[in-house]
Formats: sequence, C-alpha cells, structure tokens
Amino acid sequence: MTHRNLRYGIGVLLPLLLAGSPSCTSVNVANYYYKNRPVLDSIQHTYKAAYKEKPFSIEFTDRSFKNISLELKTDSLKYIYEFGSGEVLRMKDTLMKYKFDIPAISTLIGQMRSVHCTWINNLDYYVGEEKDYLIYVSIWPQVFNFPFVGKRYNILAYFSRPQSFDQQGRLVTGRRIRRIRKINSEIFRKINDTVCYTLSDRFR
Amino acid sequence: MVTLLTRFFGCLFLLGSSQALWAFPEEDSTTRASTREEAIAFIQKIKDLPPSPHWPHVKAELFLANLHTNIQSPLSLYQGSNTNFCGYAAISYLPLHDDPLGYVRFMLELYREGKAAWGRTRFYPSAAIRQAAGTLRFKGELDIRPADQMWFLLLADHYKGYLNFFNPHYNPGDENTFWAAVNFGKFNRMIKRLFHYRVEASGSDLLHPWVRDLYTVLRESLKTGYTFIYVNNTFLHKKNHGMKAGFPTHFLLLDGISRNGEVITMTYWDYGERTLRQVSPAFLKKILFGISHCTRI
Repeated sequence: MTHRNLRYGIGVLLPLLLAGSPSCTSVNVANYYYKNRPVLDSIQHTYKAAYKEKPFSIEFTDRSFKNISLELKTDSLKYIYEFGSGEVLRMKDTLMKYKFDIPAISTLIGQMRSVHCTWINNLDYYVGEEKDYLIYVSIWPQVFNFPFVGKRYNILAYFSRPQSFDQQGRLVTGRRIRRIRKINSEIFRKINDTVCYTLSDRFR
Repeated sequence: MVTLLTRFFGCLFLLGSSQALWAFPEEDSTTRASTREEAIAFIQKIKDLPPSPHWPHVKAELFLANLHTNIQSPLSLYQGSNTNFCGYAAISYLPLHDDPLGYVRFMLELYREGKAAWGRTRFYPSAAIRQAAGTLRFKGELDIRPADQMWFLLLADHYKGYLNFFNPHYNPGDENTFWAAVNFGKFNRMIKRLFHYRVEASGSDLLHPWVRDLYTVLRESLKTGYTFIYVNNTFLHKKNHGMKAGFPTHFLLLDGISRNGEVITMTYWDYGERTLRQVSPAFLKKILFGISHCTRI
C-alpha cells in the first residue's frame, strides 16, 4: 500500500469508526428496546403511576450506577438530593418526609440499574396550545466510546397517545402540518406509534 | 472560519445557558415603584386587544394571559428548554417584583407600537425578531408564552456583549446560539442601564471571585438586596457524564442560604421554579464564578 493510499484509507475509515454508521446505531437502539422491552415498559408504567401521585425524577450520577440524585417536586419547591450507595436509609427517610411512594421508587431504581437507565423524567410539550406529557428515558451508551469523543445516550420517549411520523420515520407535529417535532433539540424516530428514540450527547 | 472561531469562544466561555442564583430580599428592604394589584387591575381594564401589525405571530389573548401569569407568579417565568435566555429570564424578576405596572405598560406599548421605551432606554426591535416572536416552538412552556418570547428576543437583540460578536443578527434558531448568550459584564450592564439598580459585582467569565468565605458573603448579600449568582451549570445541572469545561454557563437568583457543618443548603430560582439543593463548600466554590448584588437606587 502506498503512502497516499494509506492516508486515504485512514481518512475514510477513521471518521466512520469514530462516528459510527447511523443505520447501525438506529438498529441498535430499536433492538435494545425490543430486547429489554418488558423491563423498559415496566419502568415507564411504574414511573407514570408514581409521578401522578407526586412528581419526581431519578438520575444515576455515575457509571457504576451506585449514586443517585432525586428531584422531588412539591407545590412550592423542587428538592434535589444526592445519595451514595450506602445511604439507603437516608433516602427512605427523605422520601417518607415528603410522602413519596417508597416501594415504587425503590422498584424503579432497581429496574433502572438493571437496564443501565441513567435518567427518567416527565417532560411537557405542546400540540398547538394544548399541553401534553411524555416520559423521557435515557440509557447509558451501549457501544464503546472512543476517548475524547462525546458519549451518545440512547433516549426513549414514551408518549401517551399515538404520534405522527414522516416517510423517514421522523417524529412530526401532526398529520396536516408536518413539521419535524424536536424534543430537547433532538429529532426522534419511530419505534412504534407511541415510542420513539434518538441518540443524544445529553441524557436530559 | 467564523463558525470555528465561534465554537472556540464557545468552548472557552460556554455563556449560552448561564444560570444565576437569585436572592429574594425581604418585602420591605426595597422600595417598589408599583404593586402587583395595580398591574393586574391595569390588565383587567383591557377589554379588547386587537392583533398587532408589528408582531404578526403574537396572539393577543395569549399575550395578555402571559402578562397576567408573570405578574401573578414572577418565579414561574421560564426561559425555555435548551435556549440561551437564562440571563434575560433571571433579570426579569427585578421589574416583575419591583415595578410590575411599569413592566405591563412597557410590554403593551411594545405590542401596540412595535417599539417602546423603558426609562431612557429606547427599544427598536429588528424586523427579524418581530417575525420570530410567537413562533418559537419545542421549548416547553415558552411555546405558549408569546410575551416572554418578545421580551427575551428584544433584550437579546438590543444588548450585545463580546460573545455576540460573531453572530450579531437574529436568524431562526438563534435563541439557542451565541446570538442570545450573556456574559457576566453584559448581565450586570443590563441591570444597571435598564432597571437603574446599583450593582456590586465580583467575579468574571473566567476566574472565580476573590472571596475567602463564600457562604458568609452570600448570606450577607441576601440581607440587603437581590443576589444573582453566575455558575458553571455543567456541574450544577449535569447533562452528560463526559469531560466538563470549567467555565460559568448559567445565571440564578439566590433565594436563601444556610449552613449546617459541611452542608450548605441553597434555595434559588431556576427554570421557572424554586429549587432547594444541598452542596458542599468546595462544590459551591467550584461552580461559582460571579456574584451580583443589586439594590435599588
């Protein structure tokens, strides 16, 4: 191989290795969803029910999924508390103090850990002037990350009603006015009528 | 080339989504120019507000409802998700709390005339932002708050800092870019020039303030005026687990602060709600780059 060919080869292959092929990553997220569907759907159901009682969000702050940050919302204030792996009792005391559903949140934490889910939250969005909600689930990157290249989290969005998509499977605003709907500045793609995914460098 | 330079400065200063911690003073520690009741009575007198030819995408009923909400609950003001409007949202607490009637009159003049004056500052919004107001979408509650869209776009259009040097004119989508970014100097300048507050600022865009005991300084600052803090949001409101730049990115309004041993409990306004968070003194020192203490002249 000549020096020129080598340079050409590196020039072509390196960006592909670093960026990954979009079609492959698309398949991976959808595959990951179907492979872990029972747990992921259960997380969504449990969270939705518990959130309805009292709003909150859960974040795993580290790669080892030991440290947790809870955002507990009350009428007047949002409380942000962080708990280490050995602080289960302190966490339960805190949840009890603000009257949150301890069994549901404990179940969620266990399930999130099992599928490497780093963040779950409820997001509001607007269809015209009408408010609606979706559940935003972020999963730690499943593929190897090169040093100095940003992580790409797998994001799942659970909608409460069927959504519209264009021919390329991208989430759009409606059937009549088909404008691409961005969530958190990201374009989402179809998994099924109510579940979409994207890859993002931010987990929230 | 311009894009590259913009990105370079972006990496250096990350001033887009800056957060400020604000301190809410005691009710009697500042002299209010008008009251909430006066402002609400003024809005309620408006029986029919025709569409404005100057703001073609702003719906009159949503505009009035937005003003009403802002007066009723100033802390619900929301800069929108993933925008660089946090600095403008932070300073908005000052007129909404101290001169709500002045704020409503200004906004109505702006809506009806397409231009308006606040004190000696005259605003002549560009055609681009007049077209954009009311069209910003996928920003959460900001989608249905056209008056807030007008206000944020107007401030970003009027006040410029060095971060806006490479992108001085609005194009669709620029609410998320350096066009809307606010550096520490610009933030303090807006409060001084527009609202005529005395601002005692310490800190900068690059270096932490030279303060030995941050907790005591913040606690004392809260007693005598509004306190905004300029923080590194990549640590406070973490969005990824990668390497983080050590620069400030966000403005917050500090509401309260207390200390119990090595735990500092802060209450602050952020993203349209009050938040309570416990941090260590070391973490506070790490994230804090600026303190702006504001009092009425």
